[in-house]
Amino acid sequence: MNLTINIVLYFVAITIAFLGIMLLVAFTVLAERRVLAFLQGRVGPNRVGYGGVLQPFADFIKTMMKEDLNPAQTTKFIFFLAPMIAVITAIMSILIYPFGPPITIPFFGTVPLVIARFDVALLYVLGITSVGVYGIALAGWSSNNKYSLMGGLRSSAQMISYELSLGLSLVGVILMAGTLDIYSIVEQQSGWFGFHWNIFYQPLGFIIYLISAIAETNRVPFDLPEAETELVAGFHTEYSSIKFLLFFNAEYINMITVSMLATTLFLGGWQGPLVNQFPLLGVFYFFIKVLFFLFLYIWLRGTLPRFRFDQLMSFGWKFLMPVAILNIVLTATIVAYWPVLLAKLGLR
Amino acid sequence: MLALLFIIFAGLAVGCAVAVVAQRNPLYSAVSLIGVFVALACLYVMLAAPFIAAVQVIVYAGAIMVLVVFVIMLLNVEEEERRRPRLRFLVPTAVVMAAILVAETSFIMYSVRFSPFTPTDNISNTGITSQIGTGLFTRYLLPFEITSILLLMAIVGAMTLARRSLRLSPTARILPGAQVLARDVLTRGSPEDLTAIEADSSVEAARVLGVEPPIKREDLE
Repeated sequence: MNLTINIVLYFVAITIAFLGIMLLVAFTVLAERRVLAFLQGRVGPNRVGYGGVLQPFADFIKTMMKEDLNPAQTTKFIFFLAPMIAVITAIMSILIYPFGPPITIPFFGTVPLVIARFDVALLYVLGITSVGVYGIALAGWSSNNKYSLMGGLRSSAQMISYELSLGLSLVGVILMAGTLDIYSIVEQQSGWFGFHWNIFYQPLGFIIYLISAIAETNRVPFDLPEAETELVAGFHTEYSSIKFLLFFNAEYINMITVSMLATTLFLGGWQGPLVNQFPLLGVFYFFIKVLFFLFLYIWLRGTLPRFRFDQLMSFGWKFLMPVAILNIVLTATIVAYWPVLLAKLGLR
Repeated sequence: MLALLFIIFAGLAVGCAVAVVAQRNPLYSAVSLIGVFVALACLYVMLAAPFIAAVQVIVYAGAIMVLVVFVIMLLNVEEEERRRPRLRFLVPTAVVMAAILVAETSFIMYSVRFSPFTPTDNISNTGITSQIGTGLFTRYLLPFEITSILLLMAIVGAMTLARRSLRLSPTARILPGAQVLARDVLTRGSPEDLTAIEADSSVEAARVLGVEPPIKREDLE
């Protein structure tokens, strides 16, 4: 009986999170178009609904109605599998993020605002991200198109390279927290009016994470896999209708989950003023921080030009990786010798 | 519930493993192998070893198989054609090996079932990350360090093999028709002489041109 209730609760939680993420994706797309238009001195889509709020849904219906093309000589099964891998791996990582502190619902009990809490949450995210490469790589290969193949190859090379510095930039936080459980990492960042947030202890790690996360999600200025001027549209040139929509969704879901990880690890997750009195405020703070990162993505897209591919590679391997390793060494030394130093100074 | 999950994941693993061997398109085989790794990771989670599961996905599915897929994509491997089997003596050998494997497995299952050893209560703790970390850095420190030195040697070896043996200066330029030719191979007086030559290395190019071999860095200093 208890097991059944738990399974039902999991389904409810997953459904809510899924719908929430999908709405967030829809409005991120709209926000991207409006903000980008503002940055470039245009107006942007403002006709469908008040100020264009229904534009994403109109786009959705329009894309769905298009013909689902299947070019000749494609590898059918993999052509079909690739968008699914992309979107499933993207959405699987929302399982672990704590959206807020535990909330007491009258007549029901206390509910933690996290879908699953387990020991290796952080490694789970890294694993899921590394499998996500296949969506793009296989899409590029199976399309039987030069531009797609180039896009797929570029993106797999890029994602492998930046995954390393992404993972290494998180090691500093893990060393300080002493756990891989994201929920306890958030709880450790409470107090001190926000000065316990990891961004103040790991500024280098935060910057490395931000750069490699942008590269990992294939966004400007690292959007070489889909560089329009060289590769038509890169790996999704041959995709249309719902398959294209799945890739599009996967990109935006990846942006959101990466922002959520940055929020939970570096900006204190749902921590903020008055959270202990009003737990629901935590959810608000969490999404404010996530939206800040999403705005940063759009802002960068409106500001920066694209890297060249060799610049991208040498930046990732010859600059970002050594700096990330240096950050690990520094953090480990400080974590190991801080208690010794305090004892020597007679402070403990 | 657990038995049902085990049957699903084990079936997935076995099915994908069969597909790895049976598929004729190499990329299909690679994708099936990824399926095997993911299914194995699910089994590890069910055995209360989440860390091993995560590492399995990151290392095997996320890194090694990406490289394999990358190579298959780059080499543009064709579908394998079905040929008449050669080396017929391998068939009875395979049967004997399979029989030995089955015998070993059943012996292990038999001895596990009837062994006097009873598992302790905290058996679910062994897969936890902190336990693995403590084990790696205390009890198994020496094997751990040896493994890391082995990996370092592999990295250095790969870099040595992949590196070009030429000493190219910043002003080096690649001539048409030649592989790679450093500018200082040519005579000093005519640096703009871009004669096309057929050569595999700058030493050979220098011999073809009848000039001094490439200047060594230490000679310049």
